[in-house]
Amino acid sequence: MKNKVPLFLLERPSSDSFIPGKGGLKISFIEKGIHHLADVIKTGYIQWETASSDNFFQKIDARVKILFLLFYIIIVSLKKNIPSEVLIGAFVFVLTFLSRLEIFNLYKRVLFFAFIFGFLIALPSALNVITKGEIILPLLHLSKPYRFWIYQIPEEIGLTREGVYGVLMLTSRVMNSLALSFFVLYTTPFTEIIKALKVLKVPDSFLMIVTLSYKYVFIFAKTIEDMHLAMKSRLAGKVSNAEGRRWIAGRLALMFKKSQQRCEEIFKAMLGRGFSNNIKFYGVKKLQTRDWVASAVFFIVGVLFLWI
Amino acid sequence: MKDIICLKGISYSYYDKFPAVCDISLSIGEGERFAIIGANGSGKSTLLQIMNGLIGQSSGKYFFRGNEVSEKTLKDKGFLRFFRERVGYVFQDSDVQLFCPTVLDELLYGPLQLGIEEKEALDRAFEVMQILNIENLKDRPSTMLSGGEKKRVTIGSVLTMNPEILLLDEPTNGLDPRTQVFLVELMLALNDAGKTLVMATHDLSLVDELHMQVALLSEEHKMVKIGPSDEILKDEDLLLSANLIHEHVHYHGEEIHKHRHSHFLFHKH
Repeated sequence: MKNKVPLFLLERPSSDSFIPGKGGLKISFIEKGIHHLADVIKTGYIQWETASSDNFFQKIDARVKILFLLFYIIIVSLKKNIPSEVLIGAFVFVLTFLSRLEIFNLYKRVLFFAFIFGFLIALPSALNVITKGEIILPLLHLSKPYRFWIYQIPEEIGLTREGVYGVLMLTSRVMNSLALSFFVLYTTPFTEIIKALKVLKVPDSFLMIVTLSYKYVFIFAKTIEDMHLAMKSRLAGKVSNAEGRRWIAGRLALMFKKSQQRCEEIFKAMLGRGFSNNIKFYGVKKLQTRDWVASAVFFIVGVLFLWI
Repeated sequence: MKDIICLKGISYSYYDKFPAVCDISLSIGEGERFAIIGANGSGKSTLLQIMNGLIGQSSGKYFFRGNEVSEKTLKDKGFLRFFRERVGYVFQDSDVQLFCPTVLDELLYGPLQLGIEEKEALDRAFEVMQILNIENLKDRPSTMLSGGEKKRVTIGSVLTMNPEILLLDEPTNGLDPRTQVFLVELMLALNDAGKTLVMATHDLSLVDELHMQVALLSEEHKMVKIGPSDEILKDEDLLLSANLIHEHVHYHGEEIHKHRHSHFLFHKH
């Protein structure tokens, strides 16, 4: 073996010092993306930690919480005025506060998604091209009205009062639904949510897909992070955006292949332990007095929201 | 022996919650064979990743050839190149390290990143394939390799960069005996060629065979002792406290026999 060592491996670096490079190294978009992905694992850990703590909402049975979530999302969708939505939002905020969640982090996410999936998506509908009504903010003045497909484009284009109200209504509904969902997710361990869904007769195949997907997200994030570290250990300079894109395209194919192999292995492991298309749970507890009281309170408050 | 790596009071915690290494200080000399041993979860791999500048320590200082290594200094293009071409890292899980389409691409990735001419990079790749006996795998995708073949390719992918120091994370883990012997011979040859070897392992027989300088980590992620392998491996109480050997109970005929058991001392000459 000794005689076979290639000659280039006997060469030593010419110098023990280095010449500082001109300017710093900018973080590539891959690095930023990977950091976001690594955050998935951290978020998962935070979710597990907060959900397992011993605060107000965390103590309540997961079945009650799932029913609470469904009931309140229906209420949020049924309400047709903004003040009611604000009231429901305030109620969820108080519950979040009582459960000692990190309010800033939770609402940062809620606002981000509500802005994209509520406000931005609905914004065009505030134009008088889609929602007729009184123009409160004129944007464009055309020389004459046009007809395009099913749309009648008027001479003056702008935001209408009815349209803006509709956008705000939709945004507040999305915001409340998100706040409720994040609130329940952050106060209930994932396994308890799955157990509750099983008790509430959600089909096993659906639960299986959700459970495996949830687990896979973490495995995927960890693999990508490790793969990135492996690349980083062999990188001696900046990765240009074009190189980065090429690397990602190549890795996607590889990840697909590896995922497929992993999927087959997991399925074999499941079969090896007697999997037969049914999810079996243990330790489904009886509802306690606290859970019944909480159910009653949430129900009464919900009915009040429906009534006002 | 001139120090190539020097760690002073290095600590690191995952998610700022779980401590992985606590207040580790050590020095590794040029051309040394150095092993970091400890039970699972003692922080060996994390320490190795810090030594490769892949993760930044939470506290403490790390010096490579007298230059401080940190997330900040690694942003300097000149230093990053200086550091990466001198320090090679072989991951425990070969799958994460093999990300190129074929074995040859894998061997060429590092040298091309260092700006080495294509012809020279190809020469290096073929020479390394020869020493690792993987010439026949040249055009194979990494997903179609066995565990032993993958390990050879990962080592080859680092060797083509001709690093001064090789960081190896559990290099013999999950390999068949023949591949393990091959790896030991390869490491000795590389060390004879002047390479510094640092490995994280709990394979005590490997440490014994390579006569290494050893740093023992406790399950509390702290440094317990540094010394030559002969001295550390003899100290059974120390190894027992670090969960590297265990009490073993078995029968001799009808008689129950109890003694301390390790997996490396059966072949002493």
